[in-house]
Amino acid sequence: MFTLGYGFYKYLVQKDEFCVLILGLDNAGKTTFLESAKTKFTKNYKSMHPSKITTTVGLNIGKIDVSGIRLNFWDLGGQLELQSLWDKYYAESHAIIYIVDSSDRGRIPESKETFDRMIASESLQGIPLLVLANKQDIPDCMGVRDVKPIFNKNAHLIGKRDCMVMPISALTGDGINEGICWLVDCIKRNVFIRPPRNNDDN
Amino acid sequence: MGGLLSYFRGLFGSREMRILILGLDGAGKTTILYRLQVGEVVTTIPTIGFNVEQVQYKNLKFQVWDLGGQTSIRPYWRCYYSNTDAIIYVVDSADKERIGISKDELFHMLREEELQEAILVVLANKQDMAGCMSVAEVHQALGLDALKNRTFQIFKTSATKGEGLDQAMDWLANALQNRK
Repeated sequence: MFTLGYGFYKYLVQKDEFCVLILGLDNAGKTTFLESAKTKFTKNYKSMHPSKITTTVGLNIGKIDVSGIRLNFWDLGGQLELQSLWDKYYAESHAIIYIVDSSDRGRIPESKETFDRMIASESLQGIPLLVLANKQDIPDCMGVRDVKPIFNKNAHLIGKRDCMVMPISALTGDGINEGICWLVDCIKRNVFIRPPRNNDDN
Repeated sequence: MGGLLSYFRGLFGSREMRILILGLDGAGKTTILYRLQVGEVVTTIPTIGFNVEQVQYKNLKFQVWDLGGQTSIRPYWRCYYSNTDAIIYVVDSADKERIGISKDELFHMLREEELQEAILVVLANKQDMAGCMSVAEVHQALGLDALKNRTFQIFKTSATKGEGLDQAMDWLANALQNRK
């Protein structure tokens, strides 16, 4: 009887879980974005001070509950030698957030190349893509109008998937709500292609 | 009132964190422990049993356990798992032959129920040796991409030269403070 009741309770409170991969070159602001998103969507969350965020070589995990589903973020290291590890996570991701440092004009071509290599992957077909033009708080950075055409150039690679370019500042938190809301809508729409991760087996 | 007290206690960081240093024999666990504690390279002999030291880093106090890594005593690691806040897993980056064994031991350990909440730091040690594996290679060889539910970070270190340890401890201290 207890098992039955507990099972029912679990059925009621369990949320569908979706995995979101945060990618981008090193120093684009991926971990800062994750901390900022956690602060916005988790009550009483004390975020890590931005000055204490160091280069990620490994994995940072963040979970947030938003509009009835749970997002499970994977924040990976962005250095060149670590990019070879990204594809291990593709098959299980439900969405990709690609972060671009808009203040670093010199590395935009490199970022674009990495982006193209990523979206060419077979296992990411049909997965929503959110490109974030980060560091909008820095004066003289590229606006979303400059960034958008660069990343939308390869329309044939993007294909039919949802793709959006948005301006944010991970440091001040501007634009994070909008970005995540857009992503959540896409994930929900995409649920037939990528059903939620099953919680029972972990 | 109680809340206020615990707030202040939190500020001054009084609870001792319990950290295990694990890894195969000869990976450099004992050298790392004493590098952290006294800041010097000590001459070590293979550990049979364990070394335990109190290490102060910034305002955090750690109780660091360094357990022997030889095949015959690895089964006893599990006796020390309960209440562990973090695991420092040390890998000899120059030892390509035994990295597979190191991987098996790591995954065997991470399956333990008692370590589900523990933070993992992997140290790719002996980076001063010629022909050693890079961080990405160690990451791949250890199969760390299979860890999808745990925050971890991997650092390149050289315990004998003292490189990389500060970064690793910095990150660990932050991760432990932000865990809640």
